[in-house]
Amino acid sequence: MFVAIIAMLATGKYLDRIHRHGAPELVGDVRGITAPNFDLATLDGQRVKLSDYRGKAVLLNFWATWCGPCKVEMPWFVDLQKKYGNDGLVILGIAMDDSETPKIAQFASEMGVNYPVLLGTDKVSEEYGNVEFLPTSFYIDRDGRIVGKGTGLLGRSEIEQNVRKALASPVAGMNKAQTSPTQSNDAKVPAIAQ
Amino acid sequence: MIRVLCSLLLAFALVGLALSQEPGTRVPSVTMAPVGKIQVRAGSTANVEMDFRIGSEFHINSNKPHSELLIPTTLKLNATDALPVVTVKYPVGQDMSFPFAPNEKLSVYSGDFTITAVVKVAAKATTGNYPVSGELRFQACDRSACYPPRSIPVKFEVTVAGR
Repeated sequence: MFVAIIAMLATGKYLDRIHRHGAPELVGDVRGITAPNFDLATLDGQRVKLSDYRGKAVLLNFWATWCGPCKVEMPWFVDLQKKYGNDGLVILGIAMDDSETPKIAQFASEMGVNYPVLLGTDKVSEEYGNVEFLPTSFYIDRDGRIVGKGTGLLGRSEIEQNVRKALASPVAGMNKAQTSPTQSNDAKVPAIAQ
Repeated sequence: MIRVLCSLLLAFALVGLALSQEPGTRVPSVTMAPVGKIQVRAGSTANVEMDFRIGSEFHINSNKPHSELLIPTTLKLNATDALPVVTVKYPVGQDMSFPFAPNEKLSVYSGDFTITAVVKVAAKATTGNYPVSGELRFQACDRSACYPPRSIPVKFEVTVAGR
């Protein structure tokens, strides 16, 4: 009886989340779920959609300037972007700050960030399962599916392992040549320093 | 049949519990203890001590963090003409290092801390009870992650006695 009550409460809680938002939120095991698309502004005012990067492996990192653990990961992301950029890795930082954009830009510059930083919104946070815990990262394969999620500060090796997992998956219906970064739509999206 | 049903229910329960305990659903708690009776005469001042408790495993920035990027803990009280707030005194933060920045000292509060507000009752204030409300804003982290800034309501009551 006790187990039944817990089951009903737990299931009800999950179903309530689904009903409130119309689609399953990114809670629990999110692997295999298509990453929600978004349209966010970069620090210099360009618009970026996740779908712009279809065919690439994406590391989506939610962070903030006031988040100490986020600062630890950033130099690792810079290295990983250099190391795997030519293999098709794109790192996107989503700043969840209330700070003014120039302050975020200055911080990113001081950290040597070599990947696009986007200005986060409540909407994108909600769509990614109410990101309240920073840093939170999603690892998205070339086909737009989530292959991993990390909450809180992870070790560099664990992050790199997730990156490799995202890079390893081919795009559905495309051969390897088609997924080459040289044939992607780089011209339309912010440049990434290699 | 009953065994199958029980197994299914157990599986549902475990999945549900796993979902509800996913990292990122924990909320750092800061709570305020009720403030005792404050009685003061018109025209004089009173120190109002507010005791707060931070949930274990969490810390919040002090009122004077060592970096301007960090969000300080602040108390805002809605003052009235009859009961203006003269000043708010914050405790000095503890300088602590954390695993995510072992070489850096952060000025933080953890466990219990007390903020003192000095209120001055106007000389012309009539006797009676004066509720004061406001909010404490803080930004919490644990050993490996941080949470967005949050606010909790703060309230107490000052009783103004005759001269």
